[in-house]
Amino acid sequence: MPAAQTWDSVSEGQEFETVEASDSQRLVIWAAASGDFYQIHYDDNFAKNNKLPDIIVHGALKGMWVGKLLDEIAGDDGWVKQWDVSYRGMDIAREDVTIFGKITKKYEQGGEHLVDLEVGVRRKDGSVSTPGTGTVRLKK
Amino acid sequence: MTMEEEADLAEVMELTPEMKAAVGKPGEPTLYEVTSLGIRTFARAVGYKNPVYFDDDAAKAKGFPAIQAPPGYLGMPVWNPNKTTARQASFESPFKRNLNGGTAVEPLERVFAGDVLEAVTTLTSLEIVPSAAFGQMMIRVSETVYTRKSDRKVVAKTRGTGLSY
Repeated sequence: MPAAQTWDSVSEGQEFETVEASDSQRLVIWAAASGDFYQIHYDDNFAKNNKLPDIIVHGALKGMWVGKLLDEIAGDDGWVKQWDVSYRGMDIAREDVTIFGKITKKYEQGGEHLVDLEVGVRRKDGSVSTPGTGTVRLKK
Repeated sequence: MTMEEEADLAEVMELTPEMKAAVGKPGEPTLYEVTSLGIRTFARAVGYKNPVYFDDDAAKAKGFPAIQAPPGYLGMPVWNPNKTTARQASFESPFKRNLNGGTAVEPLERVFAGDVLEAVTTLTSLEIVPSAAFGQMMIRVSETVYTRKSDRKVVAKTRGTGLSY
């Protein structure tokens, strides 16, 4: 979990990462939290009968992992202004994934101290299943 | 996909007037309840550790009225099996399978346990495109505006991309 950052302490190119597990219990908790009860996310037989190799991680959970990374960077004194991710590929459950963010721009706008980030979900083989962007306001 | 479904799909090469009419038309307002149980379940699933998302005392020490919802958590629609709400303008679609194509979130205000949000979703774009994997694919982009009932503040906007094939 990255520590909360201040605007003065960060620089363009700086990277942040967290590793998230995607065991079946976690996917079931997410199903309850989100109301997404599609069985391909928790029922092995259903997933395999739908030509999937195993249950797969919910797209929206991956999106919210990115939101968490940004929230941890912002800390209680900052604010996640926005984030946007595309679900370009499936992530098979029970395999850890890395949530990453890299500062691409540091700037002031409208009295706010902001950073833009390239964000995403990276698989163990290095491929990115869920690319996106985000903007965070940081304490000066 | 059955042969009948494939035959139906082969006939749809462009948007129907019904589909075009659905674009830009807001759906009916839907109520979302933000409960402490919902916030804690969401925060647990996503893996948050910040106590303001779990602990009433920690939230109140920050001057908040109750535990705060993490960014992106906007409650759950009020479930009533005896009442259905058309959250989006609907149309008959020849595409039977759906995928989540993407999510965008713009948090605007803090959201707390006890809030009730009114969500209005508008289909903002709709297109049928060629797909190497499926022949054709429908791409729907919808935007939802969440307004807190108690003070009428817009607390968040989201955009979702749905893929149908």
